[in-house]
Amino acid sequence: MISLQNVSKYYPAGFGKTYVLRNITLDINEGEFVSIMGPSGSGKSTLLHILGMLEEPSEGEYLFFDQPVQKLSEKRRTELHRNYIGFVFQAYHLIDELTVYENIETPLLYKGMSSSERKSRVAELLDRFNMVAKKDLFPSQLSGGQQQLVGIARAVASQPKVIFADEPTGNLHSDHAKEIMDLFKKLNKEDGVTIVQVTHSEVNAEYGNRILRLKDGWLESFQVPTLERE
Amino acid sequence: MLRNYLKIAIRNLRKQRGFTFINIFGLATGLACCLLILLYVVDELSFDRFHEKADRIYRINTDIKFGGNDMHMAVSPDPMGPTLLKDYPQVENFVRLHGRGTFLVKQTGQTNNLRENDIMYADSTLFDVFTLPLVVGNPKRALVEPNTVVISESAAKRHFGNENPLGKTLLFDNAFTYRVTGVMRDMPTNAHFRTDFFVCMRSDNYEWGRWLSNNHQTYILLKKGVDAQRFSQNFETVIQKYVGPQAQEFVGATIDQLRQSGNRFEYSLIPMTDIHLHSKQNIELAPNSDIQYVYTFSAVAVFILLIACINFMNLSTARSANRAKEVGVRKVLGSVQRQLIGQFMTESVLMAILAMLLALVIVALTLPFFNDISSKQLTIDQLFIPQFLPVLLVLPLGVGLLAGSYPAFFLSSFRPISVLKGKINLGLKSAGLRSGLVVFQFMMSVILIVGTMVVYRQINFIQTKKVGFNRNQVLTINEAYALGEQTQTFKDEVRKLPGVTNGSVSGYLPVPSNRSDSPLFPEGQREQSKAVSTQQWGVDYDYIPTLGMELKEGRNFSREFGADSTGIILNETAVKVFGFKDPIGKRVWRMLDDEGKVFKTYTVIGVVKNFHFESLRQNIGSVALMMDPNQGAVSFRLNSHDIPALVKQIEAKWKQMAPGMPFSYSFLDDSFDAMYRAEQRVGQIVLTFSVLAILIACLGLFGLAAFMAEQRTKEIGVRKVLGATTASIVGLLSKDFLRLVLIAILIATPIAWYGMNAWLKDFAYKIDVPWWVFVLAGTVAVFIAFVTVSFQSIKAALMNPVKSLRSE
Ligand SMILES: Nc1ncnc2c1ncn2[C@@H]1O[C@H](COP(=O)(O)OP(=O)(O)OP(=O)(O)O)[C@@H](O)[C@H]1O
Ligand SMILES: [Mg+2]
Repeated sequence: MISLQNVSKYYPAGFGKTYVLRNITLDINEGEFVSIMGPSGSGKSTLLHILGMLEEPSEGEYLFFDQPVQKLSEKRRTELHRNYIGFVFQAYHLIDELTVYENIETPLLYKGMSSSERKSRVAELLDRFNMVAKKDLFPSQLSGGQQQLVGIARAVASQPKVIFADEPTGNLHSDHAKEIMDLFKKLNKEDGVTIVQVTHSEVNAEYGNRILRLKDGWLESFQVPTLERE
Repeated sequence: MLRNYLKIAIRNLRKQRGFTFINIFGLATGLACCLLILLYVVDELSFDRFHEKADRIYRINTDIKFGGNDMHMAVSPDPMGPTLLKDYPQVENFVRLHGRGTFLVKQTGQTNNLRENDIMYADSTLFDVFTLPLVVGNPKRALVEPNTVVISESAAKRHFGNENPLGKTLLFDNAFTYRVTGVMRDMPTNAHFRTDFFVCMRSDNYEWGRWLSNNHQTYILLKKGVDAQRFSQNFETVIQKYVGPQAQEFVGATIDQLRQSGNRFEYSLIPMTDIHLHSKQNIELAPNSDIQYVYTFSAVAVFILLIACINFMNLSTARSANRAKEVGVRKVLGSVQRQLIGQFMTESVLMAILAMLLALVIVALTLPFFNDISSKQLTIDQLFIPQFLPVLLVLPLGVGLLAGSYPAFFLSSFRPISVLKGKINLGLKSAGLRSGLVVFQFMMSVILIVGTMVVYRQINFIQTKKVGFNRNQVLTINEAYALGEQTQTFKDEVRKLPGVTNGSVSGYLPVPSNRSDSPLFPEGQREQSKAVSTQQWGVDYDYIPTLGMELKEGRNFSREFGADSTGIILNETAVKVFGFKDPIGKRVWRMLDDEGKVFKTYTVIGVVKNFHFESLRQNIGSVALMMDPNQGAVSFRLNSHDIPALVKQIEAKWKQMAPGMPFSYSFLDDSFDAMYRAEQRVGQIVLTFSVLAILIACLGLFGLAAFMAEQRTKEIGVRKVLGATTASIVGLLSKDFLRLVLIAILIATPIAWYGMNAWLKDFAYKIDVPWWVFVLAGTVAVFIAFVTVSFQSIKAALMNPVKSLRSE
């Protein structure tokens, strides 16, 4: 489903350039749950942004469902964001001016779903994430953990094939973190959603079936995907 | 502490250069407009105040209704001044002026004449009443002897170069020799009349002592402490004592009898300093301005200043929201509210002061252009007089404090923790106020756009309105009297030139000039009440075709009918006033003497369609045309593609028949346009300033949109990640602004409608305020707002979302 071939990313620095990612070759299959780990500044977020098509690689090739991403038009990319990809951020990035309900509804609006469909979909998600009582509150009226739940609900609302999560539990207490990780696990198992997460915690990383380790932009170890081993 | 404030302020302003620039530049433009208008208004209000005794000088106005003639004049009878001085101890002095118009002037013995305008007779008391300092000569004696003249320094330069003119003589119109007895400093531009030549009043061959003729501008100087209002009650005594006997003698009726039959005699005083802006009399020495223009411009200045201040406040408030965190941190660190207020105030006052400095630079650069459209001679140093210094200081301080106050008090009043936790979105909290201000700004812009369009359409309407005669390609020769006996020959010679289709010698042309009505009477009815006050113009056979007037019925004067000297052609108004059903063949009487005893009978041979001869502000009065070939205005109708060449040929003929006289001509449509120069000027100034006002408003909107987009970058980033298109984001950001602009249009429409109708009320012939003006103004406003805002929205929407999302 995701395939990187010799992907590098660099930024111009003085007369030369600083590499943030070097020669990354990587395949992720549908239904996997991948954790990316590494020290601060090693390029995890950058890699995730490239995978999520928020940034372009400087070199190399990226195939998403066998389509070369570099060649996609802006319009097609927007379409992929609407229908295939969900994002979860460490800082939640909810829209402050919208209620919980409206935040979850937003991607469905962009998807062009009819109003009745949207209603039932949002209701279903609220129910599933135990947020029914909070649906009319604004983000500022929620705790961090609750905000992240809304963030995830929003990410899965449009039933994406893959969710990219950048330190989704970075700001949370470990109890809340566990809750979130269980949710990811469940989404992965029951709905077959592919999940790629960046995390600093070994415990959280273990939720995944594969761990990628980055160091100074290099992909360090390569574990044979567990799916195939089983 | 202040140094600390200043340091932080300067750093903050530098950090956000774009914002600082927009803010300072917008305010500076607004202030510059205000300063320009201030200069203009102060100049208008300063008219005639340079006279040391200005507050005691009054001009006598005459309002007379006599035989259907209703006259409001700036002139009064010649004995009025001397009589008041003799009879009333309250009067300290008087001076009379009598405008004589244009003369050809040269130093005696020289060959080349120069055209000199606005020459006038003046009493020798001129220099006692007015403040007109003499550079050379004795003011007590300068205008005492007949045939003496006092000239201005620039006239001295023109005619005598560097020689001392004192005692030398000037030849006027090759006929009158006047000895120069003084050179005065050039009259200031802010005087209600200006001249370079005052000729001694005693040079005039006037039949002195006539109370029923009004030909002299009379100014009286009242003694200190005399109340002009109360003094003017004495005019009734003067009328009974002096005007009455002469009326009895010439008209054969007492004042009371005349008054009973509907006539009116009134004299009044107008303070000299009021003449320029308030006097609307006929026969002024020079055209006056109007207090209305002063009000209009002041309103525009206030509008612009408000718009600019609102910008400034809006941007400052908007931006301050970004600094909520800073405020929070400062408070946690122990800053008290007063210090925070001080800091914000320092910042905005600093900006306002910079704006004021920039405004002065802008004024200096644009003043020549402004002088051009306002036809004034303003200089920037007029701003630095002591009376203005408070304005220059208070304006930026006031604006700065006002603009700084809102963010200062608003932000500094927050509990720091709620700000730091990001629980309060300050951008949204102050949005209500900002929206109100944006609405207000655009409301004023829309009013200005509507105003400008209506003023322009009205002026255009006046200029293209069918005036009743064809004023294209009618050339009139100025100073045709220089031709003397040759006038007819000249006309006939010029008519032979190819390209000249007709020519006429006549007394008057249908352009505003000094002329008065005289009465006509229905045949056999000599009572004053039957008199029809009429303009009586002496013309020749070719007058009507040359000017392209149309006959409604009857015929033109014709050579086939002999001299046609008893025929008369009336205009439609005159026919209506006489009440003729079938005017052709009707007879009217014209009074030939002052006493009303000798009449000449005329037969109406034609009716000419109404044509405009005064400003379109006035209705068309009665006109009668009679044959009188011995008149001074020569005009030709041309039909040529090469007018300049044709004019050259006419000039050659002139040179033959009037050697040594300058050839000068004008086109009738130019003279006509001159009537509306004041309106055109007002239109142009209003246009210029409304364009500027709209620009300033847009600048503010631009800054505000940039700020809003910046505030919402995170939201935009999130939305893009969720799959929003660029178009939907532009729509999202622009929607709010467009809603505000629409509200502004709704509020502005009735106000503009009311205002413009009030302005138009003054015109006798006017346009209706068309509905589409509002649609157009609205569309323009929406369009401008949309372009301004969408520039920012598109920029925001195209931005890479990672930039905003990464930064947590
Ligand atoms: N626009 C940029 N210009 C130059 N360098 C950049 C830019 N953006 C990121 N970097 C550099 O790229 C490197 C990788 O950044 P990245 O955010 O991917 O790290 P990370 O592994 O996610 O770290 P953390 O665990 O702290 O989130 C960093 O050294 C950062 O300084
Ligand atoms: Mg990171």
